[in-house]
Amino acid sequence: MPAALPVNRGHLMTQTRALTTPIGRRILPYAMLSPAVVVTLVIVFLPMLQAMWMSLHDYVLFRPKSFDFVGLDNFSKALADPVFWISLRHTVLWIALTVPAQMLLGLITALLLNQQFPWRGLARALVIIPWALPSVVIALMWVWIYDSNFGVLNDFLLRLNLISHSIPWLADPDTALYAIVLTLTWQGFPFFAVMILAGMQAIPSSYYEAAAIDGASSLRQFWHITLPGISGVLLTATLLRVIWVANSIDVIFVMTGGGPGYTTYTLPLYAFIKARTGLDYGYGSALAVCFTILLLGFVILYLRRAGKNIG
Amino acid sequence: MKTKLKSAAFAAALMIGTALTGGAANAETVDFWYHFDNPDNPMSDLVAKFESANPGITINAENVPWNSYYDQLYTSIIAGNGPDAALVKLNALPRLIEMEALEPIDAQLGSWDGKADILPNLFDLTAAADGTHYLLPVQYVVLYLYYRTDMFEQAGLTPPTTCEEFRTAAKALTRDTDGDGQPDVYGFGFRGGKGGHDHWATFTLSRDGAGFGPGEMTSAAAVEGTQYVLDLFQKDHAFPPSAPNDGFKEIIGGFKAGTTAMTIHHIGSSKGMVEALGDKVSAVPVPGCGGGHWTSFGDESSAVFSSAKDKDAAWKWISFLSSAGNNAEFNLATGQLPVTLTDSKNWKNHEARFVDATVASLPFAQLLPNVSETADFTNTVWPVSMQRALIGEISATQMNAEIDTLYNK
Repeated sequence: MPAALPVNRGHLMTQTRALTTPIGRRILPYAMLSPAVVVTLVIVFLPMLQAMWMSLHDYVLFRPKSFDFVGLDNFSKALADPVFWISLRHTVLWIALTVPAQMLLGLITALLLNQQFPWRGLARALVIIPWALPSVVIALMWVWIYDSNFGVLNDFLLRLNLISHSIPWLADPDTALYAIVLTLTWQGFPFFAVMILAGMQAIPSSYYEAAAIDGASSLRQFWHITLPGISGVLLTATLLRVIWVANSIDVIFVMTGGGPGYTTYTLPLYAFIKARTGLDYGYGSALAVCFTILLLGFVILYLRRAGKNIG
Repeated sequence: MKTKLKSAAFAAALMIGTALTGGAANAETVDFWYHFDNPDNPMSDLVAKFESANPGITINAENVPWNSYYDQLYTSIIAGNGPDAALVKLNALPRLIEMEALEPIDAQLGSWDGKADILPNLFDLTAAADGTHYLLPVQYVVLYLYYRTDMFEQAGLTPPTTCEEFRTAAKALTRDTDGDGQPDVYGFGFRGGKGGHDHWATFTLSRDGAGFGPGEMTSAAAVEGTQYVLDLFQKDHAFPPSAPNDGFKEIIGGFKAGTTAMTIHHIGSSKGMVEALGDKVSAVPVPGCGGGHWTSFGDESSAVFSSAKDKDAAWKWISFLSSAGNNAEFNLATGQLPVTLTDSKNWKNHEARFVDATVASLPFAQLLPNVSETADFTNTVWPVSMQRALIGEISATQMNAEIDTLYNK
């Protein structure tokens, strides 16, 4: 019981302090946060609610006067739509391949950039370039790299005798999605590299010195010191990238527009094409809501993690 | 002194205020949307010319990228911030009418001096289904077949006039020129991506019995047309392997670079073709297939929107663009053909062989059905089903059935 006393007293003190703090100071944090919160509410939450409301209606943009409530019809239509399932499969494949590939490449790059070598600063600056370039520029650049007539990739592979004829990377249904995965891997790995590098630099060098004295090999040092040291960063970065990559449609849209056929359709791209090109905002919104629900698991994981870090 | 200064300051403020509000009340702004690929955009010269002739009207001309032109147009209309006037193609007309977005221009046309100078039939072609006019023609093209004269000569071929001759030529012109065992020149640059329906339509809609009416797209003739396209790609390998995704940039680029020996486009690209290939490029009407002939009439008109702040000012501007002289200047930049009789008579902007191919194609040039479904057909249904058919996911019968479902469900 005596141990409980300081706690109660402390609680009481906090309450007393809260009551004696001027009201202006108590309001200040909320006042300072409110512009950001209001902007987020207006440009994120309001359209989200609007999309949810639209998903329950038959709303085709070129018939603006007809806005009939159809309940969950758009959702049942989506579940019976083969293109929905094709797009969902591609979305899973898209995330499952792109994020680990980016992480692996980012990890290797970070390990290299953490070594001492001349011009290291320049190398660290240059590696960020793919991340800094606009997605549309990257997409157009890679369209030319993959071009079956003039592309450098085919030329390179032909010269090395690795292929016998030019491959239409983006027009072949067997290669189109993977070609875009490679593009996005190239674009996104610097994010992992920079995050992991920052994580590595936070590991005290004394750990490595102690491990070296104990005779630990480089591999064991990596396994027992580096990896646990960067695991937090790695998890946060992975969760963030899963959300970003899942939502990313710009590169796919510019490179193939979802084609050939439905070969590179992902769920957000399908929702975008249905709404923006087909002008079917009711069904497009339903697809977007379905995708949001599917992605919510990752979002909650990230928010819990972010909240824990702040706490 | 102090009072005098105060009075002077007040009077000055009043004058400035009056000038500002008076100016705003007098100057009407017309927001105009258009799409030009040509970097030598002449719109600012035309705007300056119009504004000096019509003091009190300001033209805010915005060049909107073609790829998303209609997506942006429809959404901006719904959002309530659409343009006052814009370039519009006929296949967008049914949707825009359904949206009640357009202003009829019959009354203005009735009293417009320039009406008699517009090429015959253009007003009939661009009228709505009920005969109302919403569109004022501003330029036109007709699709024809570009071919490499040197490659044809080398192969001892003449430009094809039928589908049979076309296939023979496409196969013969698909060659391995560098001896690596793989073809590096293809007979035809086929546009499998968005906008390529004109290529497919030439080989399909020309056939007797093929069309968009009930049962016409699933008829043996229409399926035969689609199968003809698929055979050229899958059996003859006469298109570049990238054909399923190829768009305007790829087919024109491939032809200029010598990767393809033929392609279908219009006079708008002829200047660039001549710059790249000189006399090695010429044009003829597209081949006839299955007993008929079909090519696409590429229309472009301007329209006044029902939400326009000042409809008279918007009409003045669009009628200015379709008037003799101004219309020629407009088409000098777009590379297309003027719609006025006066400008057509004096037209010297294109090489004669391309004008001849256009004129020879006019008798069988057609438009896609003037119904709301056509926008879906060109934007989504055709590109996706054509690509799926080209990569072997669906058959010619299934592809045509998808189009039939769109139009006749």
